Amino acid sequence: MAVTRERFEQGMTYEAYKAQMTRNRERLEENEQLLKLAPEDVQFFAENPLHVLVLTEDWCGDAIANVPIVGRLAAESGTLNVRIFLRDQNLDIMDQYLKHGQYRSIPVFVLFDQEFRELGHWIERPAAMTEMQGKMLDELYATAPELAGIERGASMAQLPEAARNRLMKAFGDFRAETRELANGMVVRELRELVARNQAQIA
Amino acid sequence: MSLPTKPPAPAARPVKVSIVYCAACGYEPQTLELVGTLMHTFLYDLAAIEIIPWQDGAFDVVVDGDLIHSMYEHGGFPEHATIIQAVRERLARSA
Repeated sequence: MAVTRERFEQGMTYEAYKAQMTRNRERLEENEQLLKLAPEDVQFFAENPLHVLVLTEDWCGDAIANVPIVGRLAAESGTLNVRIFLRDQNLDIMDQYLKHGQYRSIPVFVLFDQEFRELGHWIERPAAMTEMQGKMLDELYATAPELAGIERGASMAQLPEAARNRLMKAFGDFRAETRELANGMVVRELRELVARNQAQIA
Repeated sequence: MSLPTKPPAPAARPVKVSIVYCAACGYEPQTLELVGTLMHTFLYDLAAIEIIPWQDGAFDVVVDGDLIHSMYEHGGFPEHATIIQAVRERLARSA
């Protein structure tokens, strides 16, 4: 069943969501503060008022990275009405937006216009970032001495400590180095979602 | 006067259990519950219980190098009985 306006209004505001977080609030707020938004992107959303439904959980790295983008866009544009739902307590909504029809991936951003027509939804992270991370890991497994001879899909529990440490460092460096690029991709993809679906509805 | 009870002899080849858990996900209770179960069940028959913080929702349990449970593959957390059985099988092989 499609999300109704009444169901949407049951969600938490962004500030209420942050206030009830039990973990990672500092990281989320740090991401919120460090985010750089282009004026033209803020202007785009200022000219396109939306209702935005967010599905998230405190522990999800992609959510901690990307939910602040919606929070800042809402604050700076003044036109995004954001309501946040915890995934595991709202599976009726989550199961309408499964990644590849299978996975309860988060965060999910569902965009509705002022008449509450659904414009589309966005899941987890930009596809290009997943691809970039995959290439980074390909190169790492091929070149890092700590990972020599180690099968790519092996459980972290099966790896020597040096290999795990190398991977953890690589993930951390990748996230730090691609943060601005990733943020830009998220905003661009949300803009494209709005522009593409508004044209179809018009 | 009663003589002190001798502790049970450890297994010929104790088994190592490694648990990878997502440190940002709040999986500490499930991790520590499993560790407690293993400690109480196997006493000296474990060579080590390794607890490894990781990311991205991981919860893997490896027994003597064999992956017994993966949240990515199997979904959810493992039944303790499954891990206990895996440890017992490996202890039996080395007996």
